[in-house]
Amino acid sequence: MEQEKIAKEMFSPAQLDSAKSEEISKPSLNYWQDAWLRVKKNKGAIVSLVIIAILTIMALVGPHLTGHTYEEQNLQHNNLPPRIPVLENVSWLPFDGNLTRKNGDVYNAYEQKNVEEYYWFGTDSLGRDLFTRLWKGTQVSLYIAFLAAAIDMIIGVIYGAISGFVGGRTDNIMQRVIEILSGIPNLVVVILMTILLDPGILSITLALTITGWITMARVIRAQVLKLKNQEYVLAARTLGLSNGKIISKHLVPNLAGVIIINTMFTIPSAIFFEAFLSFIGLGLQPPDASLGTLIDEGFKVLQLYPYQMIIPATVISLIMICFNMVADGLRDALDPKMRD
Amino acid sequence: MKKSKFFLLLSLMLVLSTFLAACGGGGDNAGKDDNKKGADETAAQEIKMLEAQAIPNMDSVKSTDTISFTTLNNVNEGLYRLDGNQEVVEGMAEGEPEISEDGTVYTFKLRDAKWSNGEPVTAHDFVYAWQRAIDPETASEYGPYMMDGKIKGAAEITAAAAEKKEYDLNTLGVKAIDDKTLEVTLERPVPFFKSLMTFPTFYPQNQKFVEEQGENYGVNSDSILYNGPFVLADWDGSTDSEWSYVKNADYWDADTVKLEKVTWNVLKESQSAANAFETGEVDITSKLSSDVVPQYEGDPRLVKWLEPTIFWLKMNQKESDALKNVNIRKAIAQAINKEDFVNSVLNNGSIVANYAVPNEFVKNDETGEDFRAINGNELLPYNLDEAKKAWEAGLAELGTDSVELRYLTDDTETAKKSAEYVKNQLETNLPGMKINVESVPFSVRIDRQNKQDYDLQMHGWGPDYLDPMTFSDLWLTGGGNNKMDYSNKKYDQLIEEAQTTLAQKPVERYEALAEAERILLEEDAAIAPLYQRSSNLLVNEKVENFTYHLVGPEYSFKWTSVK
Amino acid sequence: MAKYLTQRIIYMVVTLFLIASFTFFLMKIIPGTPFSNADKLSDTQLSIMIDKYGLDDPVPVQYANYMMNLLKGDLGVSFQFNNVGVTDIIIKSLGPSATLGGLAILFGTFFGVILGVVAALKQNTWVDYTSTFIAVLGKSIPSFVFAGLLQYYIGVKLGWFPVAFWRGPEYMVLPTIALAMFPLATASRFVRTEMIEVMESDYITLAKAKGASWFEIAFKHALRNALIPVITVLGPLVVSLMTGSLVIEKIFGIPGIGEQFVKSIQVNDYPVIMGTTLLFAGLFVLVILIVDLLYGVIDPRIRLAGGKK
Repeated sequence: MEQEKIAKEMFSPAQLDSAKSEEISKPSLNYWQDAWLRVKKNKGAIVSLVIIAILTIMALVGPHLTGHTYEEQNLQHNNLPPRIPVLENVSWLPFDGNLTRKNGDVYNAYEQKNVEEYYWFGTDSLGRDLFTRLWKGTQVSLYIAFLAAAIDMIIGVIYGAISGFVGGRTDNIMQRVIEILSGIPNLVVVILMTILLDPGILSITLALTITGWITMARVIRAQVLKLKNQEYVLAARTLGLSNGKIISKHLVPNLAGVIIINTMFTIPSAIFFEAFLSFIGLGLQPPDASLGTLIDEGFKVLQLYPYQMIIPATVISLIMICFNMVADGLRDALDPKMRD
Repeated sequence: MKKSKFFLLLSLMLVLSTFLAACGGGGDNAGKDDNKKGADETAAQEIKMLEAQAIPNMDSVKSTDTISFTTLNNVNEGLYRLDGNQEVVEGMAEGEPEISEDGTVYTFKLRDAKWSNGEPVTAHDFVYAWQRAIDPETASEYGPYMMDGKIKGAAEITAAAAEKKEYDLNTLGVKAIDDKTLEVTLERPVPFFKSLMTFPTFYPQNQKFVEEQGENYGVNSDSILYNGPFVLADWDGSTDSEWSYVKNADYWDADTVKLEKVTWNVLKESQSAANAFETGEVDITSKLSSDVVPQYEGDPRLVKWLEPTIFWLKMNQKESDALKNVNIRKAIAQAINKEDFVNSVLNNGSIVANYAVPNEFVKNDETGEDFRAINGNELLPYNLDEAKKAWEAGLAELGTDSVELRYLTDDTETAKKSAEYVKNQLETNLPGMKINVESVPFSVRIDRQNKQDYDLQMHGWGPDYLDPMTFSDLWLTGGGNNKMDYSNKKYDQLIEEAQTTLAQKPVERYEALAEAERILLEEDAAIAPLYQRSSNLLVNEKVENFTYHLVGPEYSFKWTSVK
Repeated sequence: MAKYLTQRIIYMVVTLFLIASFTFFLMKIIPGTPFSNADKLSDTQLSIMIDKYGLDDPVPVQYANYMMNLLKGDLGVSFQFNNVGVTDIIIKSLGPSATLGGLAILFGTFFGVILGVVAALKQNTWVDYTSTFIAVLGKSIPSFVFAGLLQYYIGVKLGWFPVAFWRGPEYMVLPTIALAMFPLATASRFVRTEMIEVMESDYITLAKAKGASWFEIAFKHALRNALIPVITVLGPLVVSLMTGSLVIEKIFGIPGIGEQFVKSIQVNDYPVIMGTTLLFAGLFVLVILIVDLLYGVIDPRIRLAGGKK
């Protein structure tokens, strides 16, 4: 192998400057700035964030777009499949107003019922516009989702962190309180709420508040128990850091992963808790809608009018997937061990 | 290296899932064999039924629900039973009863029949069961409900018990003249008394056996005596989700009974029931919810019939000033488009109800005419113009321009859908009307009804015996089931006449009851009838003579067979 | 350790007592009677019935009576069924629910852990995304929809498995799959997160440096440390799955306790509500104790009691 000859003159001795060795070559970023930088790099998370933003906007704006209200009924127009102008001419899209009978016949429900109007996402059995109801339902479900997440973050994390960190007798009592709260049947509480208060979204909210944060508190406590005896915490303690500082500077960043993952699990659980309540008849009062009740209603007529379930199910899955992608992105970003 | 391990794991999972699938395949084959065996056996007179619930209570004097009643009806027998045409036919009683001149004393001759332990069925068995049913100690729900005001002495026993006074069960008007003769004394003539005798609360019970079993009577298929077309088998008690009827060889009319076995399973979801029917796991489904019915529109296997159950809005006049106003009530009753409701929302064969006594329910004994022939089906129908007029008039009388009402209803799917529709109709058609829907669990709704804590209530009523009275006496002033402060002296008087002076004149009696119904709806608009429900279920085409009933028990298998 | 255990068991009894008390009083606030035919009963008759079952006694008296009976081991008799003891109801309906829940937990966790580990090791590849997708789907499709689809397509259309009832192993397949989706998703997500963290730690680097195989690292070193949150969450989930799922039981016609419990609450069947609550709470408290003990086994660095000196 031939080696290129490098002239000796090209080398020069490095200057040893003790001040320079301490110089920081990267821009100084605090924890959150750094995390944000890393989230930005994750394309999936960004796309998901955008989708969530769009869905949230639609949840607010959507119910006012078609000129129908979410409770307005028109029985002459009931059970119409989706039909959207322009898109109806694209044969492979399911927006042409066609329905399939059980024996396989395809017919146009709009022609059959002589309907001129376009229902973008179709109508339900009472002839209500599903586009409007879908976004109205998304509103309620997102409200429940954010509420559940907030309860988790606030009550669950604080409760769990204190219980795990302080330990001893406090931990013992706090854990017994959790056990008692989880031991009382949820349904009894919900039925009570619907009787003492008016049935509806408020009683669901309260029922969620009572027990929704328990899993989070337990997960956080378990993590704190694991972390608090680790070397860096001991080191911080030895260096005289206060408990509050230890929790906020050392424990919380290390807990970020489980907090986020668990929140992402609380959200669907909360949304489906509401749907479950509707399933057994204790949920929202008619004619209110949520994604859960829409899926429940749609599922009952799946074999005849599949669109009534598929559309809300798609939206709910989209919300879940996006939340999870964002969560994964956040998790990776917030993990202090992964800073570069 | 890493990659290969990963693929190893993947292929392991694949193998595992194939293995699992293979297991499934095995199970599948086994299932098919079972089906084949099943097919052979059904040729030998066996059918598979579905029910939406387990059997709650097999003690005939304490049962309260249709599932227990249905079971009792097939494994036991009272004095009479109902056939497929809803006619009363012979049971334990042989021939017609002897009825005294004034219609208050019935004497029944019993046939020679045996309990499943070989003992004869005697008049004492009836006396014992009836006394047990009325005994406050038994705490039967249906006993006093069915007997009070009909059988002599019943109401007195109940009243004494409520005041914690002494009572004597022997004062109940039922006596065994001898082993084969039963004498029943009534409070007043009850024209439908024979059909009342088909109800399971009036079935006989063998005193010795019941007392021997004590607390355990009726807790499983071994702790019950049978005298019906079938005996109950493999039933471990109320928590059991599978049971069967086996033909009773000792039944007095065993020659008529063709089926050897009827097996039952519990499945609550209607769609699941339809799925099980499709795969041939069952021959007859439980009653289908209205979501499932449209899937089978036009399918010959879908069997439909009109139930004599009416759903109406009760309008509570206790507190709401608006509902005390007859014009407001008329407006509400006429502002709901019921035609659209039954066709588009319920969509299960239910029909519009413009009446307070159901259609296709009872016929006049003398003329053979349906009760509905007198008043027709157009009492207080949907009429938007009339409704708006009444609404304006009512609002003017009240001196207001808006009315806000609570709408109490159950938490079931149909109840909620109905609520959405009714709310929308009333708010759209009656400007200024505001409806607040409150859907609550059943027991809460009943509690609030009893406390009269509601304005409008979606309420359904099914009959307990074949006579219009089971509907008409609901609306008596202060009646136990009124619970909405409706009161009209003329109405009360007509019902009183029907129960006393006209009791033995079928034609006049029906006319009085029809007039009462007209007053209730046309004059007072006390309730707003909405629809009469229909039943839908899927029946395998090989089943012949599937028999259903309109009151008490739902089905009889005495006459059913397999092609 | 023995001291810690005795202490915990005493706490358990106290907790159970408190749960029973709270539930009893809350339950009694709900209006209505347990009589199924209440719509048709006259006021006189209703008062006789209420008197007969002592339902008109002041609630504290009813409470004292219940607790006395409970001490004797008597859970009472159900209202909705004739003469059936609550103990009987629980024993009979717990069987199918526990079997189904156990199977679901077993399969769900097994495949969930594998899915999670694989996803973590192949972070941000299609394997990871697929795993995320499956897990999210498992969480975001309501169980009644999933169960209904399984029943229709696999049961009716393909005819591979029976559509309903509870008679033997082949009847368990569809409900188990439907019920397992939840623990599967939960386990896979938590394992993935934890594994990613654990894989960064020094001892894993050390293990890698020692030349330990991929399998050894993942399952011997990393997974063990990733299990803490998984068992924390799965513990109570075991209780809730083993004690029945209303939805799955209803759709597949399984005579389980979940359906029974909800119905009892709806019809005010007080003794059954109390009995079932006690069972659930007892199992729950027990599982939490086991989970707490497992923390120490899985990660010896965790000390629950006597750790502070």
